[in-house]
Amino acid sequence: MNLVAAQIVNGLAIGMLYAVMALGLSIIKGLLNVPNFAHGALFAVGAYVCYTLSTIGAPFAVALIGAFSGAALLGFLIERFGIANLTGGSYLLQVLFLFGTALVIEQILVLIYGTTGVSLVPPAMLGGAMDLGFMFLPRYLVFCALVGAFSIVAVWLLIEKTRIGSSIRAGIERREMVQCLGIDIGTLLTLGFALGAGMAGLAGGIALPLLGANATSGNDMMAIAFVVLVLGGLGSLYGAVAAGILIGVAQSLTTLVAPSASTLLIYVIMTVVLLIGPKGLFGER
Amino acid sequence: MTPSGFSRRSVLQALAASGCVAPGFAWAQAAAGDLNIALLSQNSGNFATHGEVVFKGATIALEERGHTILGRKINLLRRDDEGKPAIGVRRLTELVETSQVKFFIGNASSAVGLAESEIAAREKIVQYAGGGSDEFTGARCNPYTFQWSASPYTASSTTLEYVRKAHPNAKRVYTLTVDYAFGHSLLKYTREAAPELGFELAGNDMHPLGERQYTQYFNKALAVKPDVILLLTAGSDFLAAVRQLSSYGLKKVIVAAPWAAELDELKELTPQMRAGLILGLNYHSSINTPVNKAFVAAAAKRYQMLPTYAMAYAYDTFRTIFLAMEKAKSVDSTAVARVMEGMQLDSVHGPTSIDARTHQTNRPYYVCLCKQPDAQKNDQDIADLVFQGDKPQPAALNQCSRT
Repeated sequence: MNLVAAQIVNGLAIGMLYAVMALGLSIIKGLLNVPNFAHGALFAVGAYVCYTLSTIGAPFAVALIGAFSGAALLGFLIERFGIANLTGGSYLLQVLFLFGTALVIEQILVLIYGTTGVSLVPPAMLGGAMDLGFMFLPRYLVFCALVGAFSIVAVWLLIEKTRIGSSIRAGIERREMVQCLGIDIGTLLTLGFALGAGMAGLAGGIALPLLGANATSGNDMMAIAFVVLVLGGLGSLYGAVAAGILIGVAQSLTTLVAPSASTLLIYVIMTVVLLIGPKGLFGER
Repeated sequence: MTPSGFSRRSVLQALAASGCVAPGFAWAQAAAGDLNIALLSQNSGNFATHGEVVFKGATIALEERGHTILGRKINLLRRDDEGKPAIGVRRLTELVETSQVKFFIGNASSAVGLAESEIAAREKIVQYAGGGSDEFTGARCNPYTFQWSASPYTASSTTLEYVRKAHPNAKRVYTLTVDYAFGHSLLKYTREAAPELGFELAGNDMHPLGERQYTQYFNKALAVKPDVILLLTAGSDFLAAVRQLSSYGLKKVIVAAPWAAELDELKELTPQMRAGLILGLNYHSSINTPVNKAFVAAAAKRYQMLPTYAMAYAYDTFRTIFLAMEKAKSVDSTAVARVMEGMQLDSVHGPTSIDARTHQTNRPYYVCLCKQPDAQKNDQDIADLVFQGDKPQPAALNQCSRT
C-alpha cells in the first residue's frame, strides 16, 4: 500500500511537468488550430537557455524565467514571420513549416552546443530526498510539481481574469467573431503562440536536472504532450492539465505491475479514450 | 557535343560527379594487387562523431605499417551505415560486389553488426565486431565473424567482483534492466555471477528502451533497501537514470553499471551526478601494456587526444587482422579467419587470445570508479581505473553450435 501511495505522489509530480508542456501545446492548437510540431524543439531551447544562464552564475529561478522568455521570444518570431504568412494557405503548409522549423532549431542547437548532451545539478536546497515515512521523495520532484502548479495557475489567471485572456479564450472559441469586434487577431495569435512556446521552454527548464538536454531531447516530451492533448480534449485548456496528471500517475502506477509497459500504456489509454469518446476527456469539439 | 546533347566527356564528368566511377576505380586497384578493407560506421546524424573517432583508430593502425601489408597497398574504404541495420547491409553488399572487400570492422551497435554478420557468413568476409551482444559468439556465431568486445558475462562478473572487493558488506542487489536483447544478456549473466560472489538479488525491473522517467523505478528499488543498485541499461537511458537517481542524494547505496557507457559519454553528467559511480568498461587509455602505451602515444601525436573505446576498437581489430595476414602469409579471408581462430597476440589489453570455436576475443574487462568533483584535475579526468577481470563465459552458457 505504501508503494502505491509512493507511486501516486511520484506520478502527480511528473504529471505536473507533462501538464505544463501540454498546456502550451493546447493554447497553440486552440488558437491557431495547428499542431505545433516545433513544441519539442522549443522544450530543448528552454532547457539550453536554463543551462546557459545557470552556468554563467544566474540563480536557478532567473534561469527558469529565461527558459520561458527565450522560448516565448522564439515562438513570437516563428508565428510573426512564419505561421502568420501562411495563414491563408493550406493547413499542410503550416504543419510542414513547423516541422521544418523544429529541424532547423535542433541543428542550430547542435552547432552551438555540440552533440554531447548537458546536465545541471539543481540548487543545493533542492537536492536530496525527503523521508515521508513510506517513501523517499526527491525534493526536486516536489519543486517540479510546485513550479508546474504555479505556472498553470498563472496561465489560468491570465486567461480567465485579464482582458487579453478573455480575447484569447474568445479567439479559441470564435475567431471570426473576435475579428468582427475589432480585436487585432494577428497580435492575439502571435501572443498566444509565444505564451504556448514559453510554456514548452519552461517545461524544458524544469526538466533539465531530471532529463538533461540535447538537441532532440524535446521529441520524447512532445510525443507525451500530444497524447495528453488528445486525451484531455482538443481545445480544452484545462483538460490538458487533468490529462497530464492522469498520464503521470498511470505511468507511475504501471511500474508496480508491468514496468515494461509503462510507455505503451499511455498510448493505449489515448487509443481507448479516442475510440470511446473522440473528443477526449474534456473536449468540446 | 553529339546531336543528342551528350558527349563522352560530359557523360564521364557526370559519372565522376555522381560517384559512379569510384567503385570501378576501387575494383581496378584491387585487381592490380591492392587490398581493400572497409570501415562501416555512423558518419551522419547526431552520432557522426562516433564514425570520426573509429576512423582515427583505423588510420593509426594503417599508418603504423605504412599502409601496406605483404607488399600490397591497403586502401581503407569508409561507408556510412547511419546506425541502421538495413543501410549497413546495403553498404556492405555494395563494397563486396564493387570493391572486393574481404575484411571489415563496423558499428558499435549490435543490431547493425549482427545484420552485417549474415553477409559476412554468406560472402566469406572477415568481420571483427564491436557490439555488446553475446549473439556474435553465441547463437549467431559463424566462421567469419569475430568479437572484440568482452563477453557480457565477463562484464557482469568483473563489475560485481569489484563491488564485492570494494564493499565486502554489500549484500542486496537491485537491478534495473533495459527490456531488449542486450539488457536480457546482462541480467542473465548477473543472475549467474551475483550468487557466486555472495550477493542476493533483491529485485529487478525491466524498463522500455528509450524510457525517460526513472523515479518510479527507484521508488520501488529503494523500498526493498538495497545495498547496490545495478543499472543494466546503456546510453541515454543510463544517463537519464543516473541523473534521476542522483536527485535522491543517496549516500549509502552503491550504484554500479557493468556495461552502460564509455567515459566520453559521462561528460553529459555533472561531476556531482557521477561521483562514486562504478562503471564497467571495454577500454581505458591508462591500460598499462606496451601495445597500448604505443597506441596512446600515437593518438596523442596524431590527434592530440586520449584514445577512447571506439578508437581503440578500430585500431586493435585492424592491427589483429594485419597480424593474422602476416601469420597466414595471405590476404585470403578464409586463410586469415583460420589463423585468427585460437590466435595469441599482444594487443592493447596485453596478452590476448581468440577463442577458436566461438571467436570471442579473450581479454580483460575494466572497472572504473568515477571521481569526486574536487578530485578531478580537468574535464578529461573523470574516473580511475580500479580493477580488471577476465573470467570467460562458462561453456555451458554459450549457444554457439560450431564445433
